Amino acid sequence: MLNIILRTIIGLIALSFLSSSISRFLRRAHTATWFKLMASAIIWISVLVLSIFPSVTHEINRIFGFGENLNTLIFLGFVIVFIIVFKLLSIIERTERTVTDLVRKDALRNMIKVSHEKSKR
Amino acid sequence: MKKTNKYSITQMGAVNRKKVFVVIPAYLEQPSIRQVIDELHREGYENIIVVDDGSPDNTYAEAHNAGGIYLLQHMVNRGKGAAMRTGFEAAKKLGAEIAVAFDGDGQHDARDIQNLIKKIAEGYDVVLGTRMKDSRGMPFVKQVANIIGNMVTWMLFGILVSDSQSGLRVFSRKALDLIDTKGDRYTYETEVLKEIARNKLSVCEVPIRVIYTKHSQSKAVRQGFVTGLKTLVRLIISI
Repeated sequence: MLNIILRTIIGLIALSFLSSSISRFLRRAHTATWFKLMASAIIWISVLVLSIFPSVTHEINRIFGFGENLNTLIFLGFVIVFIIVFKLLSIIERTERTVTDLVRKDALRNMIKVSHEKSKR
Repeated sequence: MKKTNKYSITQMGAVNRKKVFVVIPAYLEQPSIRQVIDELHREGYENIIVVDDGSPDNTYAEAHNAGGIYLLQHMVNRGKGAAMRTGFEAAKKLGAEIAVAFDGDGQHDARDIQNLIKKIAEGYDVVLGTRMKDSRGMPFVKQVANIIGNMVTWMLFGILVSDSQSGLRVFSRKALDLIDTKGDRYTYETEVLKEIARNKLSVCEVPIRVIYTKHSQSKAVRQGFVTGLKTLVRLIISI
């Protein structure tokens, strides 16, 4: 019973992140790109499939020869790291853009016109 | 891409130079910037905008000494794309009808600008200078990198040009208003092509001369193989 509840929660979380990614892409949010949508879809659909069909991992274990516990840990770790990296990339992108905008505003505000006469000094 | 004929053919040789702005993004161009500005003045271009992209050398001072320019400075280095965009924003504020992107390392010949402007007068929105029609003097590695860049641009954005990385380009006011690049660094040249395709702007290529000086070849920041690879990754991620 607990197993089913946990899998349902994980499935719902995956659906939530997936729909959020799709929604941002459809709204043409500033940092939404095809690459991010595809990457996000691959991850969250994988999580969703595994939450509905957990026995898929046995098949993967059998094919790759992983121990069950190791396989689960690696997968969970991968998902967590993926989320963190994506989040960091978005933050970095936003920050870079903000810095450039500020630098540009400052440059335009302080634009000077240097006459030909000044160059002769 | 169909061109719209804004200028009459009789105006071709007499485009109002007062509305032509040459934008020069400059980073570590202390050895060459003054000569570049002087050459543009000799060719009759009075509206020159120099954007010093946070150079740690005396690029700003040398440009100032050349005189007869609008001078801007980024307080920190943001990349060629960012500097170009700053320069174009300044050009729009100053009432530019035509903007010329011109490198500050002495690689371009100011005499070529007129040939590109003529095409704008014929009705094209963007005119790209191409070094590949006569690539004599261009290092072999650069030629190969250019061909790869052209193929990538075609595959990603559906626009095939012979010199996707050329820095000498001319834009009509319409193009200036529509092109919205996000890339600050070396993705800029390719991103412009993406924007041309996205906005269905009319574009053509005009052969230009290339002058490979000791300075332009020795610059610390160049589009090398690793930078090219990074550029490709950024372009794919930005689709």
